[in-house]
Amino acid sequence: MRSPVEEKMLVTFWGTRGSISTPGRTTEKYGGNTPCVTIENQGTRVILDAGTGIRNLGIELVHEAETRKQPLEIHLFLSHTHWDHIQGLPFFQPAYLKDTQVTIYGSPKKERFLASVLKRQMDYEYFPVSMSALTADIRIQEMSEENIRLGSITIDWEEQVFHPGGSVRYRFSAHGKKVVYATDVELDLFFRRDKQTKKEEAAARDYLQFVHGVDLLIADGMFSEEEYPARVGWGHASIPAVIEAAAKAEVKQLALFHHDPQHSDKYLDELWVEYRSRYLKGPHKMDLFWAREGLTVAV
Amino acid sequence: MSRKDDILKDRTGFDTTEEIPRGKFAAIMPVSQRAYLEITGSEEKDGIFELGEKEVVIGRSTECDIRLGVQNVSRKHARVLFQNEEYLIEDLGSTNGVLVNGIKVAKCVLRSNDQIEIGGVKLVFNEEKRLHKK
Repeated sequence: MRSPVEEKMLVTFWGTRGSISTPGRTTEKYGGNTPCVTIENQGTRVILDAGTGIRNLGIELVHEAETRKQPLEIHLFLSHTHWDHIQGLPFFQPAYLKDTQVTIYGSPKKERFLASVLKRQMDYEYFPVSMSALTADIRIQEMSEENIRLGSITIDWEEQVFHPGGSVRYRFSAHGKKVVYATDVELDLFFRRDKQTKKEEAAARDYLQFVHGVDLLIADGMFSEEEYPARVGWGHASIPAVIEAAAKAEVKQLALFHHDPQHSDKYLDELWVEYRSRYLKGPHKMDLFWAREGLTVAV
Repeated sequence: MSRKDDILKDRTGFDTTEEIPRGKFAAIMPVSQRAYLEITGSEEKDGIFELGEKEVVIGRSTECDIRLGVQNVSRKHARVLFQNEEYLIEDLGSTNGVLVNGIKVAKCVLRSNDQIEIGGVKLVFNEEKRLHKK
């Protein structure tokens, strides 16, 4: 019989910054690498997005493969193919290991576009190594209607349209626990309307159903309430929009993610203090935090 | 001769921008990294523990490097590791968990002023880097 500890999903943040990597003293705490998260459960590991944070993960995975003397089996789920979510891939060391198997999952709406986008990122004009020169066995798999089962983890997904070019949200379930990764979606456009259109109403309903009651929601909360009006249509949510939606959906724990490059550690600390206290008690009690690089939480 | 001139004289023979001999700067490279865990605000006796590069185990057991004699602390509750020039804390499967800035963590890279809570005992992590001549 497995202990409750063994059954937990371990969620690790390798990159939490949105749009562009932002190294420097003012981002040291929350991190400057662009999105990359891993979820592990009983020997199965999935990677969410290949922002610059995937580079450090790759180094650790190679070390792990050498120690265990076992080839790596990697499952990478892309929310979409904007730069900040794929730019670390050419620097992902396991992709250069012969015995490694890498499966990259993404939206079927892109048709053959997913493979093409990833290849074009490694055109000679942009990068000295072409994708075909990567020695790992790399397969690109568009998501289908069927849920995916990897070891103890089941994955289902939905398209998100309120982002330029669209994006995908994923739900990972294991042993009755659920983690949702829903980044790059402008929730304000369908949650914070005076009068919703039918399309907006449906989008809000679908979102709430998908994230309802999950143990951890990792969500894009890029802009503050004050910043958002000047950034309408950029495809990212305001912090209050994410928190309100998560509370409405009775999410247990919310990780704010995809931090704006202009947001310093000090500013993110201030936001955390401001919002966290509001949700510690009351009818919409929810544990919320600002995700930082190098953090692992057990779900 | 000034220090600048002293460095530049080694460039004789180079007619473009060239590498300045590294040895001239080696003496001012930072070589010392120190970190501390400070126990604060609990019934536990306050104290400051300097962290080195060796693993430090925290718990109620007398075998632990940092012993917290409090009932809600597990025998071997957590450990602090030094990896890739960073400190991180890891829960060793404790009953009451490890909180960093109020979040229950399985593992977390530590940054200065992180507030850690172990079985009700509060600790603050701080690190410093110092310049030292060899």
